[in-house]
Amino acid sequence: MAEDGKTLTRERIVAEDLWRFAGSKGPLPTTLAPQAKTVEPLVPQPAQQTRAVGQRVMRPDSRAHGLGQTKFVDDLTLPGMLHAKIKRAGIASACILRIDTSAAEAMPGVMAVITGRDIPVNSFGPTFQDQPVLAADIVRHAGDGVAAVAAVTEQIAAEACEKIVVEYEALPAIFDPVEAMNEDAYKIHQTASNVYATKIIKKGDVAKGFAQSDRIFVNEYTTQMVEHVPLEPHTAIVDWDAGGRLTVYATIGRITLARADLCRTLGLPMSRIRLIGIVGGNFGGKNEISQEPALAILAKKAGRPVKGVFTRTEEFTASTTRHPFVMSYKTGVAKDGRILARTVRLVLDGGAYCSWSATTLGKACILAAGPYNVDNLISEAFVVYTNKTMTGAMRGFGAPQVCFAYESQMDEIAETLGIDPLTIRMRNAFSEGATSPTGQTLHSVVVKESLRMAADRFGWETQS
Amino acid sequence: MIDVTVTVNGVVRKASVPAETTLLTLLRENFLLTGAKLGCDVGDCGACTVLVDSQPVNSCLMLAAQADGRQVLTIEGLAPKDGLHPLQKVFEETGALQCGFCGPGVLMSAKALLAENTNPSEHDIRDALAGNLCRCTGYTKIVDAVQDAARLMRERSEPRALEGAEHG
Repeated sequence: MAEDGKTLTRERIVAEDLWRFAGSKGPLPTTLAPQAKTVEPLVPQPAQQTRAVGQRVMRPDSRAHGLGQTKFVDDLTLPGMLHAKIKRAGIASACILRIDTSAAEAMPGVMAVITGRDIPVNSFGPTFQDQPVLAADIVRHAGDGVAAVAAVTEQIAAEACEKIVVEYEALPAIFDPVEAMNEDAYKIHQTASNVYATKIIKKGDVAKGFAQSDRIFVNEYTTQMVEHVPLEPHTAIVDWDAGGRLTVYATIGRITLARADLCRTLGLPMSRIRLIGIVGGNFGGKNEISQEPALAILAKKAGRPVKGVFTRTEEFTASTTRHPFVMSYKTGVAKDGRILARTVRLVLDGGAYCSWSATTLGKACILAAGPYNVDNLISEAFVVYTNKTMTGAMRGFGAPQVCFAYESQMDEIAETLGIDPLTIRMRNAFSEGATSPTGQTLHSVVVKESLRMAADRFGWETQS
Repeated sequence: MIDVTVTVNGVVRKASVPAETTLLTLLRENFLLTGAKLGCDVGDCGACTVLVDSQPVNSCLMLAAQADGRQVLTIEGLAPKDGLHPLQKVFEETGALQCGFCGPGVLMSAKALLAENTNPSEHDIRDALAGNLCRCTGYTKIVDAVQDAARLMRERSEPRALEGAEHG
């Protein structure tokens, strides 16, 4: 379009009405009468009231929620739909010797029964594909599925699961992440080590920093496993069409990743999978597939759509949880409370499978020093397999755990040194242009302003 | 099979169901009223709350047969034909529901509270909603919304009360 040799700018297109000629075949007029049009800036200007910032907005789905008209996955029913149940191992670590599904298959109303051997590619995961859809050889936590049933009612499917006989040979089990790091510990995934991801950050010279310190504080903090407990349990409906295309209605937030995992496990091109995600509470726990490939194989076998709904118990035992952390903090401080050196060692209980552990590990390690200037730092983090429910994404990805540790230690330092807890934080907190543990220059830093404002609002001075 | 006759949202409905059928299953699967949700199936979460003879119940714990001959109000029956119930209006305007899964149960418990107490304190509201779990909101907006709805309902009913008109 820039035939006249002039640079084509957004302002010129608007001011000279050039957009009108974008679709015309004739030559562009060489001159245009200037028109009295104001060109809106592309971005809001300082102090300008926009149509969004500071305005009240209504959720687009609020009315449907209030009327009870929002259709969640469990509210959908397809013609001929069957109900699935998954048989859970109930044992934390074992070899599967034999699975007998004959009694279940013989039950009236049971339309399909499958085990891990029926899944085309029986592994998935957002980082490492280390999790089976249904455990076929080795059970690594009690919530592992070992078989699945589709039946005309949920009750029949549940009864059929009870009739499936699984013979196990118990294997050693580890429930303590620190113990799992020992070289001679039982290897849960038969790999060289139970540690499956590591991150180490080094900044400055910690030996020098500790040597300069007036006091050194050594503390250990631990946090527990937490389940997301979305009000809506994990639910999915799978439906094959006659052309071999699969439609999946599922409580999954990350639909593109889920499609990738589904096409991998089912051996289908991604173009043959349509995934409709509807979520009633996620919090990080509904970011990957779980029962969907098993339901798809059941549906294929039975020739009918299949719905699966986790029980509340399965939500706790067979969906991801928040990582328990063991956090060792060693911090050297000057008399005035300034942090001169810090070493952090984080051990994340990764449970039986990786899920989003690598992401959690990275964020926790980077944020482990807190919003404080620590020139001499070593932060190292390890995530290890244990025979527990797998841990994955949950709000904050590891940030809340380390926050609990560094703020707890800050309080202990303040109390020991006789410094006001607010003052010691103001002395250490990031300012504009501060450098993060990974060397990033930080902008828009308002830690001190936020602390001061919060202290004013709740009357910190009068309380202490 | 057991025959049950229930008045649901003002309409007499009949069904023949297995004896173990819960009121929740009757509503969702026989009457296709999917507003009440199954969250825990053991009476902990309150997502299945409906009103039976104006009292909030966990419909996952009540058998369909126990509701025989009684009046059931579900979220689908809360709004009048010409608009929204004040609770629905305020919940919509203030974004008091996020994912929405707990909403039908919360609104029905709130409806039962406001029928008995037109000016509830925060404590009254938290007490009445103690059986309705929500993981998104932290409850603050829900409690505020119930209080706002109560105010709106008082404002609407007071002029009529002065005229001696019936309200309810």
